[in-house]
Amino acid sequence: MPSDSKVKALVLTGFGLNCDVETAHTLSLAGAEAHRVHISDLTGTRQRKATETLDDYQILVFDGGFAWGDDHGAGVLLATRLGNHLGDQLRAFLDRGGLVMGICNGFQALVNLGLLPMLDGWKRQVALAANDCGNFQDRWVELLVEPTSACLFTQGMSRLDLPVRHGEGKLVCDDATLAELESRGMVAVRYGNGRGKPAKGKWPANPNGSLNDIAGICDPTGRVFGLMPHPEGYYRASQHPDWTLIRERARRKGAEPDPLGPGAGLSMFTNAVAAARGGLA
Amino acid sequence: MAKRLEIGLKPQLNDPAGSGLYAKARAYLGLALEQVRVLRVLTFDTKLDDTELERVRSEIFTNPVTEMSSFEPLADKALPGFDWALWVGYKPGVKDNEGATAIEAMADALGHRFGEDEAVYSSRLYLIKAPKLTREGAEAISRELLANDLIQLWRVIPAEDWDPDQGIGVVIPRVELAHTPSVKSLAIGSDVELLALSAQRDLFLNPADVPVIRAYFNDPEVRAQRQKVGLGDPTDVELEYVSQARSDHCNHNTFGGRFHYQDLVSGERKVVANLFKETIKEPTEKLAAAKDWVVSVLWDNAGVAKLDDTHNYVITGETHNSPSNMEAYGGAITGIVGVYRDPMGTGKGSKLVAGLWGYCVAPRDYDGELTPALHPRRLLDGIIEGVRDGGNKSGIPTASGLLHFDPQYLGKCLVFVSAVGVIPAEINGEPTEDKTTEPGQLVIMCGGRVGADGIHGVTASSAGYSENTPAGHVQIGDPYTQKKMHDFLLEARDAGLVPYLTDNGGGGLSSSVGESARFSPGAEVDLKKVPLKYEGLDPWQIWVSESQERMTVAVEPDDEAAFMDLADKHQVEATVIGRFTGDGKLRLDHGDEVCCYVDVEFLEEGFPQWEFEALWTPPEARGLSEPVISPPKDFNGLVLDLLDSPNLCSREWINRQYDHEVQGTSLLKPFCGRGQDTPAEASVILPVLTSPVGLAMAQVIAPEYGIIDTKAMVQASIDEAYRRLVAVGGDPEQVGGVDNFCWPSIIYHPVNNPDGRYKAAQLVRACWGLKEACEALEIPLLSGKDSMYVDGTLAARYGASQRVSGPCTMMFTATAPVPDLGALQSLEPKLAGDYVYCLGVTSNELGGSALYGLWDQVGLNAPLADFAATRALGAAVHQGLKGGMVASAAVVSRGGLAITLARMVLASRLGLEVDLDCLEVGGQVSGMQRLFSESQGRMLVTVPSKRCNEFEDLLEDVPWARMGRVVRGRELTVGYEGRQVLELGETQMRRAWQRRFGRMV
Repeated sequence: MPSDSKVKALVLTGFGLNCDVETAHTLSLAGAEAHRVHISDLTGTRQRKATETLDDYQILVFDGGFAWGDDHGAGVLLATRLGNHLGDQLRAFLDRGGLVMGICNGFQALVNLGLLPMLDGWKRQVALAANDCGNFQDRWVELLVEPTSACLFTQGMSRLDLPVRHGEGKLVCDDATLAELESRGMVAVRYGNGRGKPAKGKWPANPNGSLNDIAGICDPTGRVFGLMPHPEGYYRASQHPDWTLIRERARRKGAEPDPLGPGAGLSMFTNAVAAARGGLA
Repeated sequence: MAKRLEIGLKPQLNDPAGSGLYAKARAYLGLALEQVRVLRVLTFDTKLDDTELERVRSEIFTNPVTEMSSFEPLADKALPGFDWALWVGYKPGVKDNEGATAIEAMADALGHRFGEDEAVYSSRLYLIKAPKLTREGAEAISRELLANDLIQLWRVIPAEDWDPDQGIGVVIPRVELAHTPSVKSLAIGSDVELLALSAQRDLFLNPADVPVIRAYFNDPEVRAQRQKVGLGDPTDVELEYVSQARSDHCNHNTFGGRFHYQDLVSGERKVVANLFKETIKEPTEKLAAAKDWVVSVLWDNAGVAKLDDTHNYVITGETHNSPSNMEAYGGAITGIVGVYRDPMGTGKGSKLVAGLWGYCVAPRDYDGELTPALHPRRLLDGIIEGVRDGGNKSGIPTASGLLHFDPQYLGKCLVFVSAVGVIPAEINGEPTEDKTTEPGQLVIMCGGRVGADGIHGVTASSAGYSENTPAGHVQIGDPYTQKKMHDFLLEARDAGLVPYLTDNGGGGLSSSVGESARFSPGAEVDLKKVPLKYEGLDPWQIWVSESQERMTVAVEPDDEAAFMDLADKHQVEATVIGRFTGDGKLRLDHGDEVCCYVDVEFLEEGFPQWEFEALWTPPEARGLSEPVISPPKDFNGLVLDLLDSPNLCSREWINRQYDHEVQGTSLLKPFCGRGQDTPAEASVILPVLTSPVGLAMAQVIAPEYGIIDTKAMVQASIDEAYRRLVAVGGDPEQVGGVDNFCWPSIIYHPVNNPDGRYKAAQLVRACWGLKEACEALEIPLLSGKDSMYVDGTLAARYGASQRVSGPCTMMFTATAPVPDLGALQSLEPKLAGDYVYCLGVTSNELGGSALYGLWDQVGLNAPLADFAATRALGAAVHQGLKGGMVASAAVVSRGGLAITLARMVLASRLGLEVDLDCLEVGGQVSGMQRLFSESQGRMLVTVPSKRCNEFEDLLEDVPWARMGRVVRGRELTVGYEGRQVLELGETQMRRAWQRRFGRMV
């Protein structure tokens, strides 16, 4: 693509998704031209034709929320709806190197669609089951980036704090799948214990009981990435729960950090934009 | 033929829902179970064939990685050798959200159009292995942990009765009303006749209103006009309409009442001509006129104030007490989802940006003799979960809240829910706070459908029950449907398609259409066009039904196609049900039958004011006095016990299950500190991501002070709310308030409510306190609501029953923009070496304090707010925050300095070394009083040593004391008169503070 044109990112909206505004805002900060597109505009309805296609975009984000109320399994009805209507478009999108990111509810949808982990084609091989603790949790976790992962979204990152906000985030799969995820570098991020080491299943550092502390995975190409924590939940410095301390320490050194300055989660989006620019150039 | 699908987790997987029931059975009922597995059950009452059913089973309803499913009973596979099977499903007519989304998903996947008579019903089957569990125990689990008879059906099946082929059988909770809708004309020949009719139909007409109603319908001119459309005597639709509109819930007759106040000791008498007008409306109007940031108050569904140059924020708060008291989950989810429709229906419609909660219940461990409808523990669990699902699924951050225990809430719990929205100040060049209807515009109802929901709760519960009677008087909110409607209406608004909208809450269409029609003025609606959940509803039921998730919108006829196209995009049902006219009449038809024809202004005029006697006995005359308590030797133990007390201990588990960060707006979360577990003084969000202006929100209740004097209670609450906003960086010059009164009945009755006149005086004094505080602190009341009957009659010992009236309670919610994000601050000290300042005066004011509460004492000296001092404090601290001098700011509130200092240590994981001798005090104040007094107008702030001089320069009008320093080593040490009175480690305090609820998730 010409260097002066912006990377176009599509953020899904509608039917109970609810992180579309801040996700689009984050993508804009990351340099993309972000569009919030209603699912009906992609799939059409009985009375309306589809008005949007994935063909115009380089990044597709399945953002967080409660699509269809998360009834019948989180992300399940979103996955069936998109699978029914957009299967071919999604295939074409992936074939031409598009990037897909699924956050929280979006990650749940990706595994139900079979876009992740894509070990051998579109299959449901991984599930995000109810948290072991039995309830929805909003808390900040430490996230450890797997250095050897193929994931394009986490390149150059090591550890960061992000919020999790879900009731169904426990990654479950059979042993063979798990072994393959690990051996093929498809585990992108894990829950840390707060001191840079894996949480080893311990609650609440691992907030849901995920196997091997897995918080996010990618497909073998690294271009499709899903995670339970919300990187757009820390797109801005002042979202961090320790913001006032971070700022105070800076003030003692004579600095005044910008509350609207970047947060660590933003990097996943700037990585995506950079990858889209490079990959589709 | 109906088919039943059972879905369960594969046996090797952990079942958190089953574990949850296992834990609750043990903790709540003392029942030891061995194992629990839960099956989801979907019953398909559809015309799908077996191939189609198999397709949806495998493609939609079963996760191949984690689940197994079958149209045959699955129990023996899910838990071989189970002892009990407990089935729980919904009663007919109860909103079944899972059933509805199942139909939606199948329609899309199969390309199939389901008929009105096809449905999917969801239910659950709990399989329990517990060889020693008796039938009694199994029934207790069903009744007390799983099901509520008001909305659910349940069955208990022991293994020996289990039919492995049929399982639980097939239950179809379809509503079948064998009823042909009709309109009745009702004779009201005399007042007696109308009163009898009122009693018979549960209209609750006030006897004083009866002559006015009759006079209207007997007016010769009215009769002549009615005759022209074929009407004579009033119809049932009309009388039900009057009943709704004149109810205290809709009309606020109590607050609008005339009060004859008398102080029984001094003999002083005062007449309050209209409580609402004098204490709320007029002060707010004056402030609104003086402050350009107040945009719209006192008329719409919520108040509107300026956020920044191009955006306004919208706020309201209400309660959902009675429904929650009967069915906690349903009541609470309906409450939070319902209050979200108020900002949505304010002006041309605002985007929801925050929800707030407040729960008042009897102690969780109540084991007294009275039997409430639901035990407080179960009640609280249900309320928490209802707001969780309602808030989280709405995609609106549940920003903060409070929980308060008092045994008097056993009669009725309080569930406060507040909602904040944001709206561009102008859209297409027009101010968004204005809205009006005009003749010719269409009346459109959108969102959910209408059933027999919320109609005469009382009659519905006592009417004869059959298997197919809709259990509609307690509802379950549907955040999914409403979220779609929210997104739809905002898009329609931005496209300029919405000149007017309002929500359908209490009173349903009768209220929303009735109010909208006052602008045009006039409307015609055909009730037959209103989409129904099921057939058989009478026109009057359609008119007053309170079915949720509905908005009424006015749309220009030329815009109908565009509006409907957007509705279809968002898959929201929208229906033209009539049009606005200009003839001043409200005309309702049901097909070709006229069923209502009245003047739209009729309900506004000529009704007599309610009158109350209000007799005040001052606290001394009621026998209240200060307790005689010698200074304790063990202050450490005392502070630990306070930290452990139900009203001061950690309630982290509640907001932890609420998404308080969605929308990416979080600036100050409900939790702060290193462990992110200490409650913040207020929550702050960035409502518009592209604008650098925050919005701070604080809530306070203080019912303990009300036992002494409700005036002191209200003033302390407002003083504290103001300080909380200041502490987090809110602009003290732009504080808006929301008052939510929850009061026991003030209608005197010599037998049933013998102290009604005292309660009325408590209300008058509370409102006087409100007026004074708002005038002094210049806080306009952006919104407010009242809930006037916080009483319950509970079964007691010996077959008696006892009336329990709730404590007089007012929640004050305050908001302020944070225009300078550099002023944003949290309560925890940041760095060792900083100085600790106590700002404000500490006096002997422990009446109603947490300390006295520990000894079951009330005392007499309730804290009295000094608003001039508080304003000076607010101004100084705000300057200090803006100048970056203040490194932490905390309010001194419940538990006094001791608890505030403890909270600072808990949050910072640093130590504090402070001294009480230097405090600015009012009169003789002992060490105990210095530590635990709840004097208002105080804050604790920390300041780096280099900024102290600069900061102290700001304190010209503020009494202050540099009382100590922040130190390393996580210890709180407090000295007084040369010795250490308090020495507590952070871990020790945390243990006490988290002991009670710390393990709850």
